[in-house]
Amino acid sequence: MNGSFRTCPTTGLKVHAQADGLIKANAVVATVALLIGGIAAVLVMLTRWQAIHLLSAEWFYRMLTIHGMNMLIFFILFFEMAVLYFASAVLLNSRVATPRLAWFSFWLMVLGTVIVEWTMFAGKADVLFTSYVPLRATPWYYLGVILFAVGALLVVCIFFATLVVARREKTYTGSVPLVTFGAATAAIIAVITLGHGAAIYIPTFLWSLDLMHVDAQVYRLVWWGLGHSSQQINVAAMVSVWYLLGAFTVGAVVLNEKISRTAFVLYVLFISMASAHHLLVDPGMGPTWKVWNTSYAMYLAVLASMIHGFTVPAGVELGQRLRGYAKGLFEWLRKAPWGDPGFSSLIFSIIIFGFVGGITGVTFGTEQINIIAHNTLRIPGHFHATVVAGTALAFMGVTYYVIPLIFRKQIAFWPLAKIQPYLFAVGMLIFSVAMTFAGTFGAPRRHWDMTFSQAPYEVQFSPAVDLVMGVMAIGGLIAAVGGAIYILVTVWSVFFGRPMPEGGQA
Amino acid sequence: MNTGIESPQGVWWKPAHRTERYWVIVAFVWCIVLFAMMPLWHLKGGQNPSGIRHKVDPQAFMARTQEFINAYQVGEENGIPIVEPPPGSDIYLIGVMWSWRPTLRLQKDAEYILHISSLDVNHGFNLYPINVNFQVVPGYDYGLRVTPTEAGDFRIICNEFCGIGHHLMVGRVIVVDDTQTTASAGGVP
Amino acid sequence: MALHGVPQGIVSPPTSTPRSEDAGDEHGIGGRTPGTVILVFVFLLAFVLYYFVNWKLLSFVWRIG
Repeated sequence: MNGSFRTCPTTGLKVHAQADGLIKANAVVATVALLIGGIAAVLVMLTRWQAIHLLSAEWFYRMLTIHGMNMLIFFILFFEMAVLYFASAVLLNSRVATPRLAWFSFWLMVLGTVIVEWTMFAGKADVLFTSYVPLRATPWYYLGVILFAVGALLVVCIFFATLVVARREKTYTGSVPLVTFGAATAAIIAVITLGHGAAIYIPTFLWSLDLMHVDAQVYRLVWWGLGHSSQQINVAAMVSVWYLLGAFTVGAVVLNEKISRTAFVLYVLFISMASAHHLLVDPGMGPTWKVWNTSYAMYLAVLASMIHGFTVPAGVELGQRLRGYAKGLFEWLRKAPWGDPGFSSLIFSIIIFGFVGGITGVTFGTEQINIIAHNTLRIPGHFHATVVAGTALAFMGVTYYVIPLIFRKQIAFWPLAKIQPYLFAVGMLIFSVAMTFAGTFGAPRRHWDMTFSQAPYEVQFSPAVDLVMGVMAIGGLIAAVGGAIYILVTVWSVFFGRPMPEGGQA
Repeated sequence: MNTGIESPQGVWWKPAHRTERYWVIVAFVWCIVLFAMMPLWHLKGGQNPSGIRHKVDPQAFMARTQEFINAYQVGEENGIPIVEPPPGSDIYLIGVMWSWRPTLRLQKDAEYILHISSLDVNHGFNLYPINVNFQVVPGYDYGLRVTPTEAGDFRIICNEFCGIGHHLMVGRVIVVDDTQTTASAGGVP
Repeated sequence: MALHGVPQGIVSPPTSTPRSEDAGDEHGIGGRTPGTVILVFVFLLAFVLYYFVNWKLLSFVWRIG
């Protein structure tokens, strides 16, 4: 069942039919999860905007659970599975190592997803994304997560096997491309992450069946080994996609392979310490543990991001200068293809990830500063800038290339596709900054009623908070329109789009 | 030179251009500053999440809190006892679905050892409007040396999801200034 | 170009492999990115400001240890 190859008329890459199919299947499921998570996002947001306060408390927390799981787990991991197949089989001209097992893993992940969705919508798992023990969900919920994670782990193994196959069958010469290298680091981090996932969800599954005891603090420690590390898969995958989009859109060069690859290795070495970011004001650990771990051993993973934050735009700049846009300081940026949604996504992703997500993340992850940030709206403000405006936006940008290259379809509603990254980026920027600002006043995250209308004591937030929450909702709605356009454009292109002309580029 | 999607040929372990090298050095120096600030604040700063930390049986912590309430209770409001412990003492606060017990009446500029824990699930301690946040984990006693530096009527908002009544979970802390009259404190917020 | 709805990176791919002699000498590949240098220092400035503003904010709260 090796399947056949087709030669991509645009890039000249040989594409394995199985890789084609697997990328398509994973991308489609990712988009469905994005749609569910997106609808939940709008409902949650319209509830937190106290002027509307849409949902009941029960459905608010249920929708918040659904939003978290669909966005942070299902959407992003299915998409990353597609990225792994792309970075291995497609970029290296190789076949997929074990197509049968690959499809089995895919369906295992889908099965896990369906079980989790069912338990959440049925109200059997109102425990939010983190499901902190001893909050209790039905055992089926934990089982669904475990099945999903096993499937994902298998895909990661297939990725490594494909790298071996490509090398052994000499499908490329020299070293693997930087994008593949970056994807490999994401895959290694995924193994670490999924290991933590197994270490916590299996005991929790047994606990939910009353077969064993799980300590609340140990749960938080190990769960965040999954919860934060999985965001570091996203970072490594996102940075790989930055290099990919730079190459696709403006022929960005790699300034120095040594520096960029070493930075990726720093991610692998230090990222699993990030669990500590969530435990800085917890009673279980002492100051030495907290200081050392929250800093990823003296901020070496932060160093890695600051390196990529230089080398990616510098690669774009140098690529542009080599192509003749060399006047002054910023001609390379002014004359860049801003109408290409791949390029605009890349730039907004870098800027918002760095300036908003990165700066706030390192600041809040400081041991003492966490006292004025923990569990306030500053935290979701931070991670919406990293994982939504950073990772999801970069993934959206690369979709505009994946659809013509892999699905062989032209992008439908092209004018809408061109403005989509602008809407999404501006919306998420307003949303994240407003949320962070509200959190500075101590506004709590994950909270149904900030007016405390039924609480025993009156709590009156500053009117500034009300205003900022309204701004947040408006930003969120703009972003939601951007997200909806993305789904419309991609689904329409894939299922009803005009096929790319065969045989050679235009 | 190649792009990120092309295989580099031959040896790519080459020295970087000086611009790139300088940036790596600048970034690394900044990382060291970030790191040094944390131990420095332990030495010089007044706000650290260190605390005295123990494992504790939730029921035992509940009993200890009740003893504390019995010893220092001065009133009651909304079914929650109000206690006024002497400065310098160990004081106890427990999160229970969905309330904080007891209401604390403290002296400005006096140090207390505030023990926080939970009887059931995770809760979040958010002192409003000061914006001081701690995680409250069942089975763990977090003993924080706390010195209120301003008088006033404060709230404790739960900011960790703890079930359907999460938004009802609000407690109260009153800080009185010894130099002024304390007559109004403890009354209507 | 007849292909409506295809990103320009596919319709007219950027020269993917610039000649290496354009890129400076053997040891000094990279270089000539003055625009990016300015941008990263703007970033660093924002980082330093936000970071220390937060230490200042922290110093206002109750003494805790």
